[in-house]
Amino acid sequence: MNRPWKGIFDVKRTIAFTACLMLAVTACGTTSQNSGKGPATQAKCEGTGGKYVIGMSQANVAEPYRQRMDDDIRTAAAKVPQFEVKFADAAQDNAKQVSDVENFLTQQINLLIISPNEATPLTAVVKKAYDKGIPVLVLDRKVDGDAYTSFIGADNRDIGRQAGKYVAEKLLPNGGKLVELKGLPGSTPAQERSEGFHETLGTKVQVVATGVGDWLREKGQQQLDAILKANAEVDVVYSHNDPMAEGAYLAAKAAGRESKIKFIGIDALPIPSGGVKAVEQGRISATFTYPTGGKEAIAAAKTLLVDCKQVEKKQTLPTQLITKENAERVYREANG
Amino acid sequence: MSPDPDVTEVTENGRRRIDWRETLFSFQSFFGLIAVFVAAIVFSPRRNGEILFLTSDNLFNVVRAVSEIGIIAIGMTFVILVGGIDLSVGAVLGLSAVGSAVLLVHDDLGVFPAVLIVLAVGLVFGLLQGMASALFGIQAFIVTLAGLQIARGLARIWSDGQGVAIAYGDGPNEAPVTFSLLGERTFGGVVPIPALIFAGLAVLAILFLRTSAFARHLYAVGGNEKAARLSGVPVNRVKIIVFGISGLLAALAGIVHAGQLNQGSPNDGAGYELDAIAAVVIGGTALTGGRGSVVGTVTGALLLGVLNNILALNNIDANVQLLIKGLVIVAAAALQRLRPSS
Repeated sequence: MNRPWKGIFDVKRTIAFTACLMLAVTACGTTSQNSGKGPATQAKCEGTGGKYVIGMSQANVAEPYRQRMDDDIRTAAAKVPQFEVKFADAAQDNAKQVSDVENFLTQQINLLIISPNEATPLTAVVKKAYDKGIPVLVLDRKVDGDAYTSFIGADNRDIGRQAGKYVAEKLLPNGGKLVELKGLPGSTPAQERSEGFHETLGTKVQVVATGVGDWLREKGQQQLDAILKANAEVDVVYSHNDPMAEGAYLAAKAAGRESKIKFIGIDALPIPSGGVKAVEQGRISATFTYPTGGKEAIAAAKTLLVDCKQVEKKQTLPTQLITKENAERVYREANG
Repeated sequence: MSPDPDVTEVTENGRRRIDWRETLFSFQSFFGLIAVFVAAIVFSPRRNGEILFLTSDNLFNVVRAVSEIGIIAIGMTFVILVGGIDLSVGAVLGLSAVGSAVLLVHDDLGVFPAVLIVLAVGLVFGLLQGMASALFGIQAFIVTLAGLQIARGLARIWSDGQGVAIAYGDGPNEAPVTFSLLGERTFGGVVPIPALIFAGLAVLAILFLRTSAFARHLYAVGGNEKAARLSGVPVNRVKIIVFGISGLLAALAGIVHAGQLNQGSPNDGAGYELDAIAAVVIGGTALTGGRGSVVGTVTGALLLGVLNNILALNNIDANVQLLIKGLVIVAAAALQRLRPSS
């Protein structure tokens, strides 16, 4: 039998070839960066005369909230002449986000802003950056441990509490029937927005049904379709985000009951398809802002790099109630 | 244009056909890699005269970043060589990452038994897909599309739908510290362990394809299944085994994934099958089967890695990056069409 591939030359050649291939891509790196091997140093701060490159690692820019976060950073940074911001998008992949941060380190950025896809997988690479002496600002979602400079984010439990208080005191002071529309089960925001809400809702309001909408407009609509059929009387729908509240509104409209029900959402993104516009146009009665922290992150970066000062380890962003009275103004100011 | 089994580098009398065009095309991906590599050097950002792309840190980052895709792409090459496809690998990677985390953390197993169980799960999953495809004559596309769903479902069930974080230590619900090696670097903290695993596996797979009798059967089945069957090649067994190999390697990639990220999450590896197929295609392996090599696939994976890296280092917009990667795949496939067909 002819087996030319069994020739000894082939084996040798194969090994040599593969070795070359691997080496070609790795070993011809002539220079090595050892600058980061030392102990963590202070952030580079050269005052107003310096130039600083900021890396922004986003978890998934396909979500409107995260697109807005990037936009807020871009807008705020444009007002600081010393800053240049580079953006990376991990498209919801932890492994990709690790590479994104590594690539930023290769580019020798001066400060890292990261909104992690998930905490644990990103912790090591964030620590690597921090240990190199690069200040790290963590937005919205946390990492494990404390190897970062500052965490900036809103408090979902507090937002839930304020929503519960608003329903109990303003919308249904004499009690009534409520439907809760939850976000993706197992996600922290869904849990906290629900728990906070029930802490302040009181006992007068009766929760007649709970739906799970996975944060999605179409699922919110489907859930409400069924819930409205089963419940002849519903006064308020509390939705864990605005898109589900919009879906719920569509379901109520199809049933001809949209004027009898008040819809409450969360997030209040000041974008054309966001909750602020929905309130202004009367589909949603009220929504609570869930700030992206983009503006605050650039402010913190300026404090660290330009003003040479420290920032708080944790910065909790306040929420704001959006109703018909202030929607138009809030939208204008957020985009001004 | 019927596929001719003899185009697999060998002629009837056992001599290598010396056709410069064929030679050129069989190294197509290699030239592609060189071209992208040179372009990366040219376009690399520089700092104080230092070419950032060429720093050893960066180059090892590139290999580390492609190691998981590379490992599953090697398995995918085997499947595609027999004319099949395996869409389940990304989901099997997720299943194995979850399995590793649950076994190490929740079940407090040692590294060795946990790894063994996970690899066995991947192997059996692959073999079952192979059986469904070969014995019932269902197209590999359909079987593995179903396999993708099943593996995702199993991963969600195994993890209760949550990411399982891996903490290291000796206590209960802590994984042995050995497992964290997968996230480490060796040789003075320079060479990432996953890159070594990828390289070692690549050498093994290349040797296997060049020297084993099984490999000869594999090329025969991919080239002309009917002819292979008539000449006594155990076609079904070959098909089942390649799916087993693919499942096994996807499981290995999942273990590496869990070790690198200190977590197993049921959504891990989503879309990885497409990156792996892209690496195989860029590597010059024909989707119709019978022609191609692991060398090509490894080159293809590295090419994609270098491309990703240089686009990122230059801060090309994420959406534009997708366009460029898509065009590179089309270009590679178009070049294949120019290849002499016999």
